[in-house]
Order: sequence, then structure tokens, then C-alpha cells
Amino acid sequence: MLDPVFLAQTILNGLSVGCIYGLIGIGFCVIYNASGIVNFAQGAFVMMGGMITHVLMQQHLPLIPSALLAIIVVALAGVVIERIVVRPLWDRKATMFVMILATLAAQIVIERLTLMLVGDQPKSIAVFTDLPPIKLAGVAIGYQTLWIMGTSLVLIAALGLFFQKTLVGRAMRACAINREAAALQGIVVSRMLAMSFALSAALGAIAGILVTPTQFTAFNVGTPFAISGFIAAIVGGFGRPFGAFLGGLLLGLAQALAVFGLGSGLKNMAALSVLLIFLFLRPSGILGSAK
Amino acid sequence: MATSPATILRNPRQWLGQLPLAFAVAVVAYAIIDGGYIVTVVGFALIYAVFVAGLNIFMGYAGQTSFGQNAFAAIGGYASAVLTATYGWPPLAGIVAGMAGAVVCALLIGMPTLRLKGHYLAMGTLAIGLIVYEIAVEWQSVTNGYMGISGIPPLGIGSWELESDRAQLIFLAIVTALSLWATWRLRQSRFGRALVALSGSEDAARALGINVGRTKLIAFVISAMFASLAGSLLVHIVGFISPEMIGMNMVILAFTMLYVGGIGTTTGPLIGAVVIGLLPEVFRGLKDYQDLVYGTALILILIYAPGGIASLGRLAPKRRAAR
Amino acid sequence: MSILRVDGLTRRFGGLVANNDITFAIPAHGVSAVIGPNGAGKTTLFNMISGFMEPSEGRVTFDGKIITGVRPEEIAARGLVRTFQLTQLFQNLSVLENVKVGCHVRTRAGVFAALTRPAWARREEAETDAKARALIDLVGLSDQTEQLAGVLPYGQQRLLEIARAMATEPRLMLLDEPAAGLNHDETAQLGTLIRRIAAGGTTVLLIEHDMRLVMKTADHIVVLNFGRKIAEGTPAQIQENEDVVEAYLGGVEMLDA
Repeated sequence: MLDPVFLAQTILNGLSVGCIYGLIGIGFCVIYNASGIVNFAQGAFVMMGGMITHVLMQQHLPLIPSALLAIIVVALAGVVIERIVVRPLWDRKATMFVMILATLAAQIVIERLTLMLVGDQPKSIAVFTDLPPIKLAGVAIGYQTLWIMGTSLVLIAALGLFFQKTLVGRAMRACAINREAAALQGIVVSRMLAMSFALSAALGAIAGILVTPTQFTAFNVGTPFAISGFIAAIVGGFGRPFGAFLGGLLLGLAQALAVFGLGSGLKNMAALSVLLIFLFLRPSGILGSAK
Repeated sequence: MATSPATILRNPRQWLGQLPLAFAVAVVAYAIIDGGYIVTVVGFALIYAVFVAGLNIFMGYAGQTSFGQNAFAAIGGYASAVLTATYGWPPLAGIVAGMAGAVVCALLIGMPTLRLKGHYLAMGTLAIGLIVYEIAVEWQSVTNGYMGISGIPPLGIGSWELESDRAQLIFLAIVTALSLWATWRLRQSRFGRALVALSGSEDAARALGINVGRTKLIAFVISAMFASLAGSLLVHIVGFISPEMIGMNMVILAFTMLYVGGIGTTTGPLIGAVVIGLLPEVFRGLKDYQDLVYGTALILILIYAPGGIASLGRLAPKRRAAR
Repeated sequence: MSILRVDGLTRRFGGLVANNDITFAIPAHGVSAVIGPNGAGKTTLFNMISGFMEPSEGRVTFDGKIITGVRPEEIAARGLVRTFQLTQLFQNLSVLENVKVGCHVRTRAGVFAALTRPAWARREEAETDAKARALIDLVGLSDQTEQLAGVLPYGQQRLLEIARAMATEPRLMLLDEPAAGLNHDETAQLGTLIRRIAAGGTTVLLIEHDMRLVMKTADHIVVLNFGRKIAEGTPAQIQENEDVVEAYLGGVEMLDA
């Protein structure tokens, strides 16, 4: 029979991982809004975030500096990808398809490099706060869950301020609305491209660092995360960062319920099915498309 | 016209343009004569040439996007594996059954999916490839999960098995030649023109009376048949199938071959498959880093030589504007 | 007898009315034109007639049958073909192949015929080839037959688009600003070509800015302004119509032309 405590636990876990998907989805939107590019290497940032933090902590660096360093390194990696893969294609006016293929290839290259450097064994990070979970009416709320949800909410608020108040954030929004007009206003669109890659990579890295203690990380975890983030972005109406976060929560929930009802082997299948359902029936997402 | 200086000038260039093809054919011929270790390498390249030739119809000619062609290779591969290894069917029957299955699946998948455009189409097809991979992993009773299925018999016709590696390679060479010949005939036909037309402008194609949706779907089904055939051949040559053989890496490898050989050209798939297939043999040290090298090569080609090798001999970069 | 009738055709985009209750009929022979200042709703009208856009209200009758809601490819099969304001050639196909694509709707070889090439398909392909070459000859591009369409100069791209449309054996051909971007000589050539096509039995309906071309080639003119029909008649009648003169800024543009 249906166990309400177990169900509540499932929902909580779903929302928690949904926050992660949402952050990755926002990463997709940030780049898409600045450039119209869908960066299929997004998953690599997530994997790198967790992996670099793990490696640094192996060197006995504490969590916080490890994480910060990892975020900076991944943001730089985002800029590097933008410089050596995306920018040359952008300058040559490559088609959308070529851009997708190139970023997908970049993802594979990063994956394989990681495999060479750290091997194929799954790695993990210790939970941030090593205390027994809080029990609330039988539901166990782990501290990592609180970390994930808390950090996500802080990030969402910070992004909101960034897009509303700062010059760079506003310029990014202007690019999203109309790139030509933004360029006429003196916004250097190509600089926005680099910055959007840095921002999006940093978001991916944070997501990766947050999620790694609850699961594990390995060289090949990027693609499933990228797919989930993309689904979040689509469900939220592509190009709407906050819609993407909402989409992530919904996806996390749907996935958790599918696992709850049908078994854990179907986790990826559930996500992919959500993707196809939205693509076929409502490609503009639940809130409608941004454009 | 025939005597104009431009034509005379163009002729040596055209001849030069056939060099990559001559090289690819020479490699295959050498492998057949040599009969040694290179047979395995070239056989693998020929199988991929079939897969890429199908991809070329849907992407090179019709200008569409599919990141999920591995799904159809999986259908062919698993159909052949299960029917021959478990139920004792002859290989040819398994191949035909796989292709029939691929046609049905391509129709069912294509109808909703091909209505999508841009990155939605890219992600939709990618999802289909991943779903089939997941099925291959999870449907243990049929696919044996990660462990895969072994004991698949070699190719043969009727009760006559192609025992020697050399005989198998000759068979593969014939199948590949027939596949390329078929794509060439398609490209020269009314159907092929409609494909290239809709890749240029869907609106103009519709205004001229071409049923764009139907034409795309047919192209998708044909390329699925090629993929399924390649999947079947692969499992018979290797004697084994596992989900890893039909995963995302298959798609990336195929795209690398397609772009190296020259997307939209008839012989490009063969050239690309042979060149990329030989790469790890020429540079022995590369073996462990295959995917790394393929990915890097793909990025470099996309940026610096989007027309591939087949386009190098041309006077003008004709197909560059294609996609 | 009219070949095309438009009844109360209306198209709204949100609050904007691009076409408002337009009614007219195009005679079965000769050359007709729809003119009007920029933003008068001419292209919207063409898109609705050719099936690329659903009207909000009203209907289109072609050859005695209602074609509103019929898909563009089906409309082309029935003998109504259109060109585009920005030429939409198939850049990766040669001039010859472009025109052959135009023959698509009048031929039937499919995938199996492509692979097996039965006698009837070979004959069909030979006929397609001959027909395409004749049309290329008609528009004067015989020297460029094997050239890729994308590399033709702009004026020749326009001509190729017309040849390609003719290959569908249309009863009515809609030309969307065929003279846009053409120089004086090219426009004059185009006018001659349009008259020849009309003389050959294909009715032509054009949208055009170039008044000289319209006044010289059209037998019948419909004038739109702000999405409404404001006048209809022969070139002489239109030139004298006060509403039309007003719409064109006191007639400057028209007298210029």
C-alpha cells in the first residue's frame, strides 16, 4: 500500500534533485539568451564541478576553498570552450546544427580527458554537514538536501538581482530580447557570449558540487545531467531562466515519482519520456516560450 | 561548351577530386589481398560506411538533424543477435527482420519527431537514441543487459557460412558498394532532388508541390534501414553485441566520418569511414584515446574544413553553403 | 470568367488587421497586378491565396473550387504556383536541377523507381530534362545550365525562379515583387517575359512596386492600402483614380514611373 511517509520522502528527494536540474537548465537559458546557441556541453560543467572539488579535497584542501576554486576553474573552462570551439564557428556563421554537434563533441573531449586523468571509478565528496538527518513526522531531511535547496534559492535571488540591477545582467537581457538592437546600443554581443559561458559554467559547477555528495560523480555523468537540464529548460519555456528552475523542480518530482512507482531502472527513461511528451505536445513549455 | 577553357581547367581538378575515393578503394582492395589483421579494421570501416551513407541521405541530402541513428543500429543489431543466437535463424533472415523492424520504428518515431525544428529536433532525436540505449540496458530478459549477447554466428547465405575473414570482407565490400550505389541513384532521381530542395528552402519546396513532411519521413526511414543493416553486419562480424556498441559514441564517430568524408557527397561516407577507421592503426599510440581524438578531429573539421576531404579537390567550395 | 476569386479575405495579427475584407476577381487570361504602398498587406494576401497562411475570415476560390485551408503543396498540384519576394532558390542544386524540381508535381517516380530505373521512369526523367532545358531557354539562362543556383547574379536568380515555377505547369502564377533588385534593362526583359508567359496561356498575377512594369504589363490592377482594396481596374482607370493617387503621396511615385 501507499506509504504516505515514503511518498513525502520521495517528493522531498525529487524536489532536491530538481533544484540541481533547474540550475543546469538556467545555464542553458543564459547561453541561449545571449547567443541563440544551445550548448550541449553543459553537462561537462556539472561533472567538472564535482570532480575538481573531489580532486582538491583529496589534496586535503577544505571544502569551501575547494569548491570555490572548482567553480572558478570551471567558469574559466567555459570561457575556453567559448574561445576555441564556439567563437570560431560563430565567426564563420556556422549553422545551429554544426554548433550543437561541436559542443557535443567538446563534451566528449572533456569526458575522455577526465577519464584519462582520474580513471573510470566513481568519486564522491563528503556531505557538507555531517549530522544525522532531521526527522519531521517520519520524513528524514538530510542536511545536504537543505544545502541544495538553500543554495539554489540564494542563487535564484542573486540571479534575479544580477539581471535586474547590474549593467552586465541587463545587457544580457537586452541581447535575449533582440541581439541586433542590443549591438546597436553599443553592447558588445561577443563579450556577452564569453560572459554567458562563464556564468553558465559556474552555475553548472555549483550544481555539480551540490549534488555529488548525494550521488557520486564519474567522467560520464555529464550527459544525463545535461539532458535533464535541457528538459528543465524546455518545460519552463526555453529562454526563461526562472521557468527553467520551475521545470527542473517538476522534472525532479516526476522522476522521483516514476522511480517510486515503477522502480529505479526507469529513472532515465522517465526523464526522456517527459522530454518527448513536452517536445511533441507542448514545445513552448508550461509558461509559453520566451520569444 | 565542352571546349570552353573552363571545362578543360575543371577536368584535372575533377580528376584530383577523385583521389580520396581512389585511396579508400585501394585500402579496401589491399585489405582483401593482404588478408591479415587489417581485414578487421577495414571491415569495421565498411560497416560504418553503410551507417554513414544512411545518415548522409537524411542529413547531407535532406539537411535534417538526427542524433539518434544509433537507435536503428541497435534495432538491427539486437534483432540479428537475438534471432540468430537465441532462435537459430539464418543471418540473412535476421538482417531482413531487423530492417523491417527499423522501418516500422522509424515511421512511428519519425511522424511526431520530424515535425520538430532546430534544437528541438536535435534533442528529440538524441533522446530517442538514449532511450533505445536504456532499453538495451534494462530489458535484461532479451538483451542480457550490460553483459550483452555473444555467440552470434558469422555472416552467411543459407547454410553456407562465410568462414574466412577475407570472404567476410569481400561480402562487406559488396554490401557497401551496393549501399553507396543506392544513395547515388537516389540522389540523381526526382526523389533525391526533392530532398536537396527541401534542405535549401522548405517553403519553396512546398510552393512547388513537394510534400515536405512525407519526403522527410521517407528519407528518415531509408536512413534507418541503412543504420539497421549496419547494426546487423556489426554484430555478425564481431560475434557479440552490448549496449556500449550502440551508444552515443557511435553517433559521434559517424558524424566525424561524415564530416571528414564530406557531408552531402555520395562517396564521402566511404572516404570518411576508411580514413577515420585507419587513424588509430596508423597512430598506434592513439588507440586508448580514440574518442578523444575523434571528438577533437570533429571540432577542427567543423571549424576549418566543413566540406570534408571530398570537397578539397573542387574549384569552388560548392557544398559549403549547404548547412 | 475569372480564374481566381477572393471573397471578404481578412487576416488579423493580434490587434493588427493586415488584410481587411478584400474582395476581387482575377480574369482567366492575361496579366493582373496587386499594387499598393509598403505595408499595404500585399504579401499577406499572397500568403493566404497560396495556402501558406490561414485567413481569419473569407475565402479563396481557384478555378471554381474553394482552396482556403488547402495545403500549399496541394494548391501547387492544382495549378496555382507562387514565387517569393526574397528569392528562395535551392542553392545546392544546379540551374537545371532547380527547374527539374519544379517538374516534381507533374511526375511520379518514387524511391523504387529511383533504384530500379524502369523504362517508364527513364522516359519520365528524359522528358523532365527536355522540359527543364526548354524553360531555361525561355528565360534565357541556357549558358548557365550546370551552374549552381547560388552563384547566379541576382537578376538571373529571379528569372530562374520564374522558370522553376513554370515547370509546375501552372494555370495561375503569382509573382511576389519579381522586379525587386533588378536594374532598368532587366526589368524591361522581365516585362517581356511575363507577357510571353501570359500569351502562352498561363495567367500571371504579380505584386509589384515598379509602376512602370505594372503599367506596361498588367491588363488588370487591384490597389490595396492599409489592408483594404481601394481601387480596381485597367491601368488607365487606375492612373486616373483619385484615391490611388492620394495613396501614393499625391501621385509622385506614379508620375515618376
